[in-house]
Amino acid sequence: MRWYILHALLHKEFQRHLANRGGIALGLLLVAAAVLLAVFAPEEAAAGTGMVGGVHYCYVEFDRVTPLISHLQENTPKELAGQIRFRPLATADDINELVSYPTGTGAIRIRQVNKPGERPVVQVSVWHPDGDPAALAPYEQWFWRESRRAFAEQSRKEMPGTDLPPDPAFDPENRWLVMEAHRRFQDQVEAARKVGPGNPPVVPDLDIDRKGLGGRILDFRAAIATGMVVFALYFSCVYLLPTLNCEERERGVLLAQALSPASPIEILAAKFLFYPTLGMGLAAILAGIYKPAVLGSLFFWLSLAAVGGGFLGIGMTVATLAKTQRAAFLGAMCYLLSVSMLLLICSTNGIPFVPYLALEYHGPRILHAALAGDVAPKHWQHLIGALGLATAWLTAAGWLFRRRGWQ
Amino acid sequence: MIRLSGLRVLYGSFAAVDGLDLDIRGGELFGLLGPNGAGKSTTIRVLIGQRRPTAGTVTVAGHDVVREWASIKPLFGYVPDRENHFEEFTGRRNLEFFGQLYGVPKRRARDVLKMVELDEAADLPVRGYSLGMRKKLLLARALLHEPRVLYLDEPTANLDIHSAEVVHRILRERVKLGATIILTTHDMDEVEKICDRVGIVCRGKLVALDSPLTLKQAHTERKVDVIRTDGERLVVDMDTGPGRRQLADLVVAGRVASLRTREFDFHATFLKLTGQAFE
Repeated sequence: MRWYILHALLHKEFQRHLANRGGIALGLLLVAAAVLLAVFAPEEAAAGTGMVGGVHYCYVEFDRVTPLISHLQENTPKELAGQIRFRPLATADDINELVSYPTGTGAIRIRQVNKPGERPVVQVSVWHPDGDPAALAPYEQWFWRESRRAFAEQSRKEMPGTDLPPDPAFDPENRWLVMEAHRRFQDQVEAARKVGPGNPPVVPDLDIDRKGLGGRILDFRAAIATGMVVFALYFSCVYLLPTLNCEERERGVLLAQALSPASPIEILAAKFLFYPTLGMGLAAILAGIYKPAVLGSLFFWLSLAAVGGGFLGIGMTVATLAKTQRAAFLGAMCYLLSVSMLLLICSTNGIPFVPYLALEYHGPRILHAALAGDVAPKHWQHLIGALGLATAWLTAAGWLFRRRGWQ
Repeated sequence: MIRLSGLRVLYGSFAAVDGLDLDIRGGELFGLLGPNGAGKSTTIRVLIGQRRPTAGTVTVAGHDVVREWASIKPLFGYVPDRENHFEEFTGRRNLEFFGQLYGVPKRRARDVLKMVELDEAADLPVRGYSLGMRKKLLLARALLHEPRVLYLDEPTANLDIHSAEVVHRILRERVKLGATIILTTHDMDEVEKICDRVGIVCRGKLVALDSPLTLKQAHTERKVDVIRTDGERLVVDMDTGPGRRQLADLVVAGRVASLRTREFDFHATFLKLTGQAFE
């Protein structure tokens, strides 16, 4: 490796970017966005909701199978069929007796208490994502409507010919309204029965409890900063590297360099040095503007290296496979779309393990943890995963380059 | 200086070069001619290390192009048929970049720009250059490190007469300084004018190899076009006894109004040797 050749190649890359001002403009826009994020951000606005709003699916958990549970299972609406998951409470994942819910989920937990001589009680706990109490609205709407129908059916069975009132309209998010509507219904049923002192009541009491799922709230500003940092790395390594490399190949200047005393290893080394440095430099500037303290964090730099290295491997793979600049651009875009779709499908359908194979699953998590200053042991596991995937991508890129080269 | 021994290059089952033997001496300007698909470009591709020979050996200054490629790289300069510059850089910056790779001082870029008469346009971006200027910049790049060997693929295509003359002058000067040059061209006048020797390849094989003058002598038709005083035209073959006698009789009888010997026709010779239309 000769320094004067490496220096010439690096200087050439730098000057090419200086001559193509689009990349500089984009970098400046990102820096401006980071400055705005850092300056116009009151501390109290830091808390936010999940990165993706709403819930992807809702657990309906029950302590035992009763006619109410059977009715709910039989009357799941088509539009929510894929999103409602029934499970006995005994099978729920718990840690220290606390049920753990994945991100983007909620739960309606039903416990049914029968004490001799007393009216039965249905305890309903609605567990919504923190900071977003309306996220479970479609599920609650369904649950209250069907539970009401279940109680009505039960009453009709016990009192054939009873004329029960129509379903009242109520706001499922308003606990008081739900309780009031239920009490009125209980009264109407009791009146219909002409209840005697010794008869057991038919419609159970409701005990409603609404809570946030707890856990840590996603820092929305940190999420935006994470997005910018990831974008800077992606733009430099997966977009700029393959497209400019393929442009050189198409124009024949890559051949001209290959015929000069510069060896293929030196040409490759210059690309390997320039683009990750550019991406990581821009990413560090953005992160530093957002939160200067993060630049002193080892976890942040390791995360940056893991994600930058992985993106470099992906970029080199695209650069080796694509023959033209257009193919490189399309390759980078197709990769991004494919991985996004994969992660979305896995997330919405609860498919386990597959997302672990995507660098884009671990990368934003570790960078967000570093930027939010909230590094937990699980983030170190994600970092190890990201480093492993980066190594795999770089190995694959190196293997492909040796087999196919750039000519 | 450059030796090709039994060079054979296959693309699948098609032999682009089929047992080519060539020995190009140091300080020689060698013209490589041939119709489309004759194997000229493949031969050049082997010489610049972009294609491995299927069989045979190729050496440049005693170094094998496959095994000792790293030793050969600094020895040669290459002018491709398709220009390949960094469009966003100026002509000077393009040369300075390649000069850095060759480890030559910056002033060398200025010198070669002047040599190819691009010094006035040196600080303009290449995207604004004409085809001819781009071609001259390619030659300037190839000359940066004063290579001992030059490969040129149609170096004067798209050049005006003056620029072509400049290129010819530069090439002759390089040859005087001891450089070895191989050029492919379609310009027959150029071959006659500047090449020391010419190799004509067809279907991957060498069909003729000699100096333009020897080829001229070997292939000039020794025929005379005669117009008699009565207006009749005839062609007299000087290679036969009856032909020579017929011409002598006509001259002695004073019956010749006009008489013209035939000139050497490189195109006709080329067609005769290759049996194909010229590209």
